[in-house]
Amino acid sequence: MTPAADIPLKQPAVSATASDAEQYERALIDASTRVPVLMFYASAMVWLVIGTLLAGFVSFKLHSPDWLSDVSFLTWGRLRPVHMNIMVYGWASMAGMGTAIWLMARLCRTTLRHPLLLVTGAWFWNIGVAIGITGILMGYSTGYQWLEFPPYAALILSIAYALIISWAVLMFRFRRGEQIYITQWYLLGAFLWFPWLYAAAQVMLFVVPVQGVMQTAVGWWYANNLMFLWLGAIALGTVYYMIPKVIGRPVYSYHLATIGFWTYALFSSWTGMQRLVDGPFPAWMITASIAATILTMIPVATVGLNHHMTMQGYFPVMRYSPTLRFTVFGAMSYTVFSIVGLLISLRSAARYFHFSEATIAYSHLGLYAFFTMIMFGSMYYIVPRLVGREWRYATLIKLHFWASAYGIGLMSLMLMAGGLAQGASQNDPSLPFIESVQSVLPYLRGRTLAALLLTASHFIFAYHFGLMLFGLGRTSTVPTFLNPVEAEGSEAHL
Amino acid sequence: MNNQRPNPSSLTRQGMDYGETADVHQVHAAIQREKREPRVGLEPLSIWLIAVYGLAIFAGGAYLGRYSGNFSGDSLDIAYIPPKKAGPGGPAGGEQQAELSPRDRGKKVFGANCQTCHQANGQGIPGQYPPLAGSEFTTGGSRRPAMIVMKGLQGPVKVKGQQYGSAVMQPWESLGDQKVADVLTYERSEWGNTASPVTKEQIAALRKELASHPASFTEPDILGVPDQELPGAEGGGGAPKPGEPPKPAGSPPPAALGKAQ
Amino acid sequence: MKGLVPLFIGLFGTFTFSWVGLTVIPNLQIGALNPQMDEEGTDIYPMPQSGMVDRGRRIYAANGCIYCHSQQVRPDYAGADIDRKWGQRRSAPRDYVFDSPVQLGKKRMGPDLANIGRRGGAEEEKSPAPGGSPAQSPIPGGQPAAANQLPAGSVPTPGASPTQSATAAAASPSPAASASPNPGGEPAMYSEAWHHKHLYAPRSMNPDTRDSNMPAYQFLYETRRINGHRSAAALQLNGADAPPDGWEVVPTFDAQCLVAYLMSRDQSHPLKEVKGGAAPAASPAASPAAQPQKK
Repeated sequence: MTPAADIPLKQPAVSATASDAEQYERALIDASTRVPVLMFYASAMVWLVIGTLLAGFVSFKLHSPDWLSDVSFLTWGRLRPVHMNIMVYGWASMAGMGTAIWLMARLCRTTLRHPLLLVTGAWFWNIGVAIGITGILMGYSTGYQWLEFPPYAALILSIAYALIISWAVLMFRFRRGEQIYITQWYLLGAFLWFPWLYAAAQVMLFVVPVQGVMQTAVGWWYANNLMFLWLGAIALGTVYYMIPKVIGRPVYSYHLATIGFWTYALFSSWTGMQRLVDGPFPAWMITASIAATILTMIPVATVGLNHHMTMQGYFPVMRYSPTLRFTVFGAMSYTVFSIVGLLISLRSAARYFHFSEATIAYSHLGLYAFFTMIMFGSMYYIVPRLVGREWRYATLIKLHFWASAYGIGLMSLMLMAGGLAQGASQNDPSLPFIESVQSVLPYLRGRTLAALLLTASHFIFAYHFGLMLFGLGRTSTVPTFLNPVEAEGSEAHL
Repeated sequence: MNNQRPNPSSLTRQGMDYGETADVHQVHAAIQREKREPRVGLEPLSIWLIAVYGLAIFAGGAYLGRYSGNFSGDSLDIAYIPPKKAGPGGPAGGEQQAELSPRDRGKKVFGANCQTCHQANGQGIPGQYPPLAGSEFTTGGSRRPAMIVMKGLQGPVKVKGQQYGSAVMQPWESLGDQKVADVLTYERSEWGNTASPVTKEQIAALRKELASHPASFTEPDILGVPDQELPGAEGGGGAPKPGEPPKPAGSPPPAALGKAQ
Repeated sequence: MKGLVPLFIGLFGTFTFSWVGLTVIPNLQIGALNPQMDEEGTDIYPMPQSGMVDRGRRIYAANGCIYCHSQQVRPDYAGADIDRKWGQRRSAPRDYVFDSPVQLGKKRMGPDLANIGRRGGAEEEKSPAPGGSPAQSPIPGGQPAAANQLPAGSVPTPGASPTQSATAAAASPSPAASASPNPGGEPAMYSEAWHHKHLYAPRSMNPDTRDSNMPAYQFLYETRRINGHRSAAALQLNGADAPPDGWEVVPTFDAQCLVAYLMSRDQSHPLKEVKGGAAPAASPAASPAAQPQKK
């Protein structure tokens, strides 16, 4: 095998195509991951489409509340948690797990063992999400945000996850190669942190419930850490694989990666209480979270610098590679997301933004601009390797990218501005409360426009993915570039 | 290459397309053109980055130090640090008592217990709850109102020329002597009433007197009792000004009342 | 990085650090609070809710009210909550010891509801509505428009149900249900009848709520034929929302529970550990020298 241990300081950018044996190995690995990963991806796509439709309903009903308001299971207060839970547990978690499975297989350099564990796990997970959202629609939501699934659905999700994590542990046990690559730290972290988080939250809220406001504290500790330690970790791990892989250069610095990882784990997990600023809690809890948010600027700067320096000189490749385009967008969004989070949680700003629509902008920056875009990028890379075809239409990929980018950009802008208007109005006691509603309504209508963009984007991607799934992609040796490649000897061997 | 080739049959059958072989030449073009698996470089840390770290740590630490309220579970406001605990029970409670005049204490008792019916302005509800403001019972001698408060009242009663009686007043002796005395003091000096205060000792003595009486008086019972002050009171006298402690009149100073009962 | 063991220890350590720091330690600090009592053991605040209020809380959670309404009053330096009369003092952990699930909320599309049962004391000093009895509303299961009089012999006893006295102690005109409509024909602000109408047709109230984007919860109400005479619980609706002649709209049991829950939201009782929150006249309600009595 090619030596991976001795790495010179500056790797010359010669053609770095892999040798035959490596290729053969990868082919076997990819073939073995095909069914489980496609099963996760297909499930995730279904949830994405359903969730996006619901997002449109939810956004529309917020400024036109009389539409379809007579039916109990279509009331806004039930559709909203259903949308959130479908997106987090249906789309995000399953797409994340699909990508993580493929990455684990590749990085552990062993073919996927016990695929039945994964397939069963995927189905149980789907069933759990379906039962959970049915429970919410029928009026059995638990009332805790991000944990609205009734306990029986949570139990099914736990069973599903037990299967999946057993698989992950086995894969790791049988991995080859001494070094544990950066991505594997993040993925192992994600796979372990999620069950601990979920178990802690379920126990402290449902099994042996904590008293009073501690319930809300535990709930937001869970929700925040779900974002960072589960979804965020998978996303960052994916970026650390995709960027160096696509451009063929090593990651810039091992030290940065190490510092970035550990500070990320340490500080991001403490930021949950900023959602409770000035609430009925001891001040130190809130302050600790805000201080942790300031300190998360360390991993943000570190990871951002690492990725940037790895990409340096290769940004033009984003013209061609869908994977790189989506992935770099997501990685940059991580920086934006974190800075926005810091700005709205400082107490002086929280006076306006807390309780306003700006918090929705923040969560969607994290869940969509950061996590989902990176997942899209990884799917554009992985799916051709699983189905043996290339993406059929470059135009559809471009439409997908721009509709998503403009959609989330418009949504974030609308909600941040609307949130500021709303918060400013509420903080002026001489104005009647209804004035704050009136001031935010136009922004909510703008957000519905953004939702339309995102709906179009996801339908396009779902259609395209469906084509691939049914073997209708292009048979070609050349990948689908977003723009025609100019010169022969360019770096764009993707 | 000189490496072993794992037996393809068992491992790959499960995932491969129909008709596909594991022969390396048939490996997907995507894999053929792939670059090697990612690896890490070893660039050293930039000094600017370390400066950023220092700034973040300083800012975060400063924020944490400034706004944590001593990490106490009681400190809800960032700028409000609860004073050191004086010790359990008595002295703290006693000090608190000393800061409030009997009238103020009585106002709290009134607010928690009497206001529901007699209203904050002491006017009561016509036809239901008699007023206390200007009421002959409240402002006369302290015996009658004390009896009513201690044991309750039911049945028709005429106050200030109006008839009442649809509601029943419960006995309040369970509040304890101090609170009964305080609330009477309050009622007798509020809303334009100017009657003498009532002390804890007077109520204690009254309690002994009424020990054998079952709960609840009726109007004839009350009217049958002379309209006089309870023994132990100072003669007449206006209501004490708010904020001043009541005149000692032989009773121990307020500060020692503490947790006596 | 080589070595699975250091990695695992690191992962476990960072997780545990966050878990202990943000959930376990605060739980030790504020997770076992008892309600506040005075020395006599009376004047207990808060009191556990039961019955319809408890069920109403679940309906509130199930219908997602939390996604638009908060139930926490911020201190005066943090926002205009107190200026808006949403509360007389900030909320404290002790206010929520008997709530499960706690519906603190983190959005304010609609106003804060922490004191909606008492309306934050804004109308406290006004004289009560004529004929209205202040102890009406908190009685669970009571028909909103029925029984303006207390039956003889029934006495509000704060020792038994301080929520009633705490709510009614304000002598606020609002709990007088529909017995005292405002001149415009609307039920008194935040009374039970007001809540029912607001839940049924949020945009039909005074001009203030015409732009409201609150969903209508008509599925919590039942439209039925008038049987003989109009029932006391029927909603007073007009215009497009009114049912056809001969029909009336009455709340289901779930709606009554939800409104009972809303009417029980009252954090006006002073707490020793919180500044402010005094009854309107100058009584030093929260003495800084007192310690919260934890058992």
